[in-house]
Amino acid sequence: MIEKILEIVNVIREKNSKPLLNEINFNDKLRSDLGLDSLDLAELTVRIEKEFGIDIFEDGIIETVEEIIKKIEQ
Amino acid sequence: MKKFFCEINKKEISYLSLIRDLNKRKEYKYVSNHNDFYLIFRDIVASLLNDSKIVLIDSDLSQNEVEKLNIFSDELQRIYKCEYPDIQDIDDLLTRLTIPRNKWRVDLFTSGTTGVPKKITHTFDSITRAVKISPDKKADVWGFAYNPTHIAGVQVFFQALLNLNTIVNLFNLKKDDIIKSIDYYKITNISATPTFYRLLYDGSKKFENVKRVTSGGEKLDSKLFNLLQSMFPNAKILNVYASTEIGTLFASYGEYFVLKESLRDKIKIIDNELYVSSEYINNDDNDLAQDNWYKTGDYVEVISDNPLTIKIIGRINEIVNIGGYKVHLSEVEEAINSLPFVVNCSVYSKRNSVLGNIIMCDVVLKEKSISEQDIHKFLSSKLQPFKIPRIINIVEEIKTTRTGKVQRI
Repeated sequence: MIEKILEIVNVIREKNSKPLLNEINFNDKLRSDLGLDSLDLAELTVRIEKEFGIDIFEDGIIETVEEIIKKIEQ
Repeated sequence: MKKFFCEINKKEISYLSLIRDLNKRKEYKYVSNHNDFYLIFRDIVASLLNDSKIVLIDSDLSQNEVEKLNIFSDELQRIYKCEYPDIQDIDDLLTRLTIPRNKWRVDLFTSGTTGVPKKITHTFDSITRAVKISPDKKADVWGFAYNPTHIAGVQVFFQALLNLNTIVNLFNLKKDDIIKSIDYYKITNISATPTFYRLLYDGSKKFENVKRVTSGGEKLDSKLFNLLQSMFPNAKILNVYASTEIGTLFASYGEYFVLKESLRDKIKIIDNELYVSSEYINNDDNDLAQDNWYKTGDYVEVISDNPLTIKIIGRINEIVNIGGYKVHLSEVEEAINSLPFVVNCSVYSKRNSVLGNIIMCDVVLKEKSISEQDIHKFLSSKLQPFKIPRIINIVEEIKTTRTGKVQRI
């Protein structure tokens, strides 16, 4: 699952002309570590929802990769 | 023999056959919802000759949808018996069509970008306000590219009928058949939506016979204008502003509308929204206008004050709030359509838990090698980041509404 999230993050980073990441970690913060702004986070939710059928932000703010995974696994 | 209605590989009906048909069966379907455009046109002519009311609805509405229009099943079945005297010939038909009539009304329903369809009643005067009758229009051949039960279709029909022109159906035809029809019937006039023209364009085909091209129903941008000029090298290109409620209000030969002095006190612009004097509204149960002004729901930009020149930006209900920023979906569409490898697109919004809304887009491409990322990069130089669709789906075709406009999902 984390590979899929990495792939989605890279799709967004590529659009923003940011270098692609080789890996992401559970503790990575979406904004500061992965460099996603609010428009990117909005896109991230849509892409994750398309892939996993869940809106990760539906109950509020998510800050780390781990929280995404927990949300999907719920 | 002068043809009245043609559809390639299907039918050709002359004015004489129409007259024979009208003399033989003096009746019409009160709620005209035929699949066959000829039958709808014949119903309209019969109602005109009889000077009585007709209702036009789409043929493919479900029972449920018809009920939403407040049309009861007995009305739907009703055949209106007429009492007009026999028509002698084409001249007699024309004379009878052009005499003043007071009782004739047509009920149309707005196609819903706003949800529930609204009934709009037009008189003969209001629906034919923009019709021009003149001897030099006698030989016009009309490419009919609208739904005949919607205002634009009815207006084109009247323009053609009152000049006794031939009407050639192009609506809902395959691209190849549209091209064949324009050439075979030597069509001189086409009125259609920008979407229709974009789908017709293939880069090389030129239609030399066409002398007048009208675009309406959606915004005409400068890329489409250039495309029309190359597709129709001998045509004057006219951009019209019209709606179901008002009919045709003004027209221009480009993107900007320069308003005549006579219209100056008939329109006003408040907070960029266009208002039109209620005298242009012909709704019998007139609840459309307030304090004698009708809110069009169209967002306009004033280019200059004297003479008053405006540009239509889009529908107010198509302004979307993206995390506090306002975005006009039509502005985004225009930017995408201006990319050289794009055929057509549909921009829409989806609820989003982060920003309230997110902009999405379906796009049809000329070049298959272009990716979502490429489109995004091209748009970065044209639009602010929050206006760029975050999800771009590359699709084979864009759905259109019953009116032939791009459908925003």
